[in-house]
Amino acid sequence: MRGKFIIAGFLIVAAVIYLIVSNTGSTAHYFLTIEELQEMGNKAVGRNITVSGAVLGNTIAYDSSLPQVLFTIAQVPGDPQEVERAGGLATILHSAVNDPGAPRLDVVYNDVKPDLLQNEAQAIVRGHLGDDGRFFADEVLLKCPTRYEEDIPDQVEGS
Amino acid sequence: MLSEVGYILVGLAMAVAIYTPIATFRSMRRSDGRWAESGRNGAYVTAGLLGMAVLLLLAAFLGDQFQIRYVAQHSSRDLPLYLKVSAVWAGQEGSLLLWSCLQALLTALAVGRPSERSRPLIPWATVFLSLITTFFVAVTLFLSNPFVLHDTVPADGQGLNPLLRHPGMVFHPPALYLGYVALAVPFAFALAALAARRVEDWPAVVRRWTLAAWLFLGVGLLLGARWAYDVLGWGGYWGWDPVENAGLMPWFTATALLHGIVMQDEKRGFRVWNIVLAMLSFVLVLFGTFTTRSGMIESVHAFSRSPLGFYFLAFIGLVVTVSVIWMVNAGQVLREQHSSDALLSRSGMFFLTLILFLTLTATVFIGSVLPTLTGTLMGQRFEAGPEWFDRVTGPQFAALVLLIGVCPVLGRAASTLRQLRERGWPALVGAGLALVAAILAGFTGWVPLIGFAVVGLAGGTALAEFGRDVTARSRRQQENPLRAVWNLVGRNRRRYGGYVVHIGVILMALGVIGTRMVGFETELVLSSGEPVDAGGYTLVFEELRQDPTQDHSTTRASVAVYRAGAYVVTLQPQVNHYVSLEQDVAVPALLEGLREDLYLVLAGWGDDGRTATLKVFVNPLASFLWLGGLVFLGGGAVAVWPQARAARLPVPEARRRTIGAAVGLLVGILVLIGAGAAMWGPGHGAVFQSVGHPLRGQTAPGFSLTLLDGSTLKLSDLHGEVAVINFWASWCPPCKDEMPDLQAVWEEYRGQGVTFIGIAFDDEEANVQRLSSELGITYPLGMDVDLRIATTYGVTAVPETFIVDSEGQVAYIHIGPVSAGMLREELDSLLEGQ
Repeated sequence: MRGKFIIAGFLIVAAVIYLIVSNTGSTAHYFLTIEELQEMGNKAVGRNITVSGAVLGNTIAYDSSLPQVLFTIAQVPGDPQEVERAGGLATILHSAVNDPGAPRLDVVYNDVKPDLLQNEAQAIVRGHLGDDGRFFADEVLLKCPTRYEEDIPDQVEGS
Repeated sequence: MLSEVGYILVGLAMAVAIYTPIATFRSMRRSDGRWAESGRNGAYVTAGLLGMAVLLLLAAFLGDQFQIRYVAQHSSRDLPLYLKVSAVWAGQEGSLLLWSCLQALLTALAVGRPSERSRPLIPWATVFLSLITTFFVAVTLFLSNPFVLHDTVPADGQGLNPLLRHPGMVFHPPALYLGYVALAVPFAFALAALAARRVEDWPAVVRRWTLAAWLFLGVGLLLGARWAYDVLGWGGYWGWDPVENAGLMPWFTATALLHGIVMQDEKRGFRVWNIVLAMLSFVLVLFGTFTTRSGMIESVHAFSRSPLGFYFLAFIGLVVTVSVIWMVNAGQVLREQHSSDALLSRSGMFFLTLILFLTLTATVFIGSVLPTLTGTLMGQRFEAGPEWFDRVTGPQFAALVLLIGVCPVLGRAASTLRQLRERGWPALVGAGLALVAAILAGFTGWVPLIGFAVVGLAGGTALAEFGRDVTARSRRQQENPLRAVWNLVGRNRRRYGGYVVHIGVILMALGVIGTRMVGFETELVLSSGEPVDAGGYTLVFEELRQDPTQDHSTTRASVAVYRAGAYVVTLQPQVNHYVSLEQDVAVPALLEGLREDLYLVLAGWGDDGRTATLKVFVNPLASFLWLGGLVFLGGGAVAVWPQARAARLPVPEARRRTIGAAVGLLVGILVLIGAGAAMWGPGHGAVFQSVGHPLRGQTAPGFSLTLLDGSTLKLSDLHGEVAVINFWASWCPPCKDEMPDLQAVWEEYRGQGVTFIGIAFDDEEANVQRLSSELGITYPLGMDVDLRIATTYGVTAVPETFIVDSEGQVAYIHIGPVSAGMLREELDSLLEGQ
C-alpha cells in the first residue's frame, strides 16, 4: 500500500517538474542587462526578454493620445552582489544615468505612463527587442528605492 | 526623551527575553517549579515592555515627534489620524518592533495557560519561543531601531508613501505579521515535542494556533490583494511579485499542516509530515522576511536593501540545522505505527493534498528565485513573469479544487462502486450545471470551461455533503433544518468550518478563472461628449475637474457609463498629484457587479481638458474573489472558535474564562468587521445619478416648458427644426458669460430652421427676468419647475448645452460654457447634412 502512495506522489512531482521546465523554456523571460542584450545582437530579436536599467529622466516622452511612452534606460549590473559592492542601488542608478559611456537602450511602451517613471528610477522592462534595436515593452515595473527609506543626505547629517 | 525611553524599554525587553529561556531551562534541569514560574513571568514582562515600546512609538507619531528619524520619514503634520497610526508599521524599523512585540505577546499567550496535554511540552516551547523573540528584539535594538534620533529636528516629516494611504494598509501588515508570528508557535511546539520525545499530542495542542496563523495570513493576503486592486491601478490583484509570494508560501504550508493535523488527530500517521510542515512554515516566514528586507531578490515593493538580510539568512541556517539535528535525534520516536490505507481513501486524498501544497510551495519558491537559480545552473538568467506562474500553478490549483470535490465522495475508507454511485452524482450534476451556466453566460475557450466544470464539481459535492449531514441530523433529532445547521456546526466546528472554507475557495476559484482567463483590457482616448464602445459598455467622457486639497491636487475625470444604451453610473477615476513628493497616484474607479467589474484608470488628459486617456478593464467574476474571501474567513473563524467546554471549572476560573471569551469575541468581531469593511467597502469613484445624459444619437427626451411670457413650448412641436437647448442659471457666472454668444448665434441662425431654448436651472423667475433684459436675450427662456427637465437630461450642474437635430435626436452635448465658434461649427455641419 505504501508503494502506491509513493508512486502517486512521484507522479505529481514529476508532472510539476515537467510544468516548470517546459514553461521556463517557453514563457520565462531571459533576464539580461542592457550590455548582455546588446551582445546577443540579432539573436535576441523575438525572444521573451526582461531587462533592467536606470531611467534617464530627460528622455521620457509621453503621448497620452496614443498612448505611448518613449524613454531610455542605462546599464546597471544585474548581479545583486555587484550592486552591493558598488555602494547600493541608489548610487548605481545615479552613476548609470550620469555616465555617457554606459550602454543605453531605447524603450517603447505602448501604454499609459506609469506613475513612478522618473529620472533615476530603476525600470524592469518585460517585452522583446525590435528589428530597429529598440525595446518594445509589454510591462514596465518601476521602483524608486530611495524615496521613502531615504537616509538623510550627507550635507544635513554633517551639520 | 521619548527616544531614550524607547531605547530603555527595548533594551530591558532584550535582557528579559534572554533571561526567559535560561530560567526555563534551569527549571527543566532542576525540576524546580519556581524557575518555570520565573521563566513564564519573563515571557509576560517581555511582552509588556515591548507593548509599551509600540505604544510609545505610536505616541511619537501622534505627537509629531519629528526628532525621531523614523517618525520624520513616515509621517507629516497633515497626515490623517488613522494613517498616523498605520505609519507605525509603514517602514522596516517600526514593523520589526511590532513584529517583536507580537512575537512576545503570542509567546506569553501560548505558554501562559498550560492544559493537561500541553503541560509536558510547555518548558521546551517556552525556550524556543523566547529564543525566537530574542532574535527579533535584538534585530530591532541593534540593527533597525525605530527610536534613532535625527541630528537636526526637521520642521515637518516626509509624509507617508501615498500608495500606503488606504484603509486596507491599516490592517494588511498587522494581519500578516500576526500570521507570521503565530506560525512560530507550531514550530516551537514541534521542536518541543521532539525534545520531550512526545510526538503524538503536539498537533492537537497547537491546532488552534495554526488555524489562527493560517486565518490571519489569509486575511493579510486577501487585504493585500484588495489593496492592489483598489490602489495600484493595473486592473489586477495578484502579480506574483516575490514579496507577495513570500506571504503565500507559508500560507500554503500552514494549510498543508492543518490537513496533516486532522490526520494525526484521527491516528492515521503523518507524524513526520506534520513536524516537517511546521518547521517549513516557520522557515518560510523567515525566508519571506529575508526576501523583503535583504534586497537580494528583485521586487517592486520590497523594503529597501538593508544589512538585515545576512542576519536573517544566518538565523534561517540556525533554525534549519537545529530542526534537522533534533529530528535525526528523535528518529525512533517518529516511527509510525502506520495504518495502511488505500490511496483512494480519506488518508490517501489527504496525502495527495499535502503533496500538492508542497509542490505549489516549491513552484512559487522556484519562480521567486528563478533568476538566481538559472543563473547558477545554466549561466543564463531566466525570469518568471506572471504568465509562468499562472501556467505552472494553474493545473496544481485545479487539482486541489478537484480533490475538494472528490475527497468526501471517496469517504473515510476504501469506497465501493455502489458508494461511489450513491455519493458521486451531486458532483457530476454540479459540474454539468456550472458548465451550462458558464456557456450561457458567454464564456468560451476550453481551459476556462474545464475550470468552471471542476469548480462546479467541487461545489456540488460540498453542498451535497453538508445537505446530507443536515437532513440526517434534522431527521434523527427531530429538529428543523435551520436549527440542525446551527447545532451541527456548533458540535463539530472544525469539520464544518472546513467545509465552509472549501466553499469559499470554490467561490474564489470562480473569480480567479474569470479574471485571469477571460478578462478584457484596453486603452482609450476619449473626447468630451463622444461616446466610445469598450467591452460591452458605452463610455462618455464628460468633464475634467481639478481640485487642490491639503497635501495633493486631484484631477478627476467624470465618465458616464451606459450599457445597452441605458445609463448605469458615472465613474470618476482620478489622479492625485502629491506636490511635495513629486509623485502621481492614479486612483481607479470601479463599478462592481456580480457578473463583472468595470475598472477605469485615468491615465492622462489633454491640456484643454477636452480629452482624457483611460485604461479600461473588464474583470469578469471579480466579485466572487471577495465574496469567496469573506466566506473563507467566516469558515476559518468558525473553525478557530473555541469548542464549548463541558468541563466543570471552579467559579472564579469559569468567570475568568467567560470574561476572556467575551473580550476575545469582541476583538474578533471588530477585526473581522474592520477587515471586511476595508476589503468589501463599495468600490470607490462610482457616483450613481438617477439618470445620465441622453446618449448622442438617442431620441432627446420630450418636455414642455412654460416660457417667461406665459406661453408653452413643447419639444415635440419643433419637429423638423434644430433645437439648441441651454441649461443655465442666473446665479452662475460662466452661464452669464456664454449667454451673449448664444444670443449672437441665435440672431445669425434664427431664420434657418434653428430654435434656441434657455432652461433656467434651480432659479427664481424674477432673477431670470432681470438678467434676460439686462443681457438683451431674445430667444425663448423658461423655468424648469422642480428640475423636471434637468433630471430627464441628466443635468446636475450648469451650464450644459444640447443640440437636437431635425429628427429629434441628440446630436451634440457640451458640458461647461460654449463659445459662438463651437456652436456655429456644430450648427453648420447639422444644417449641411439636411
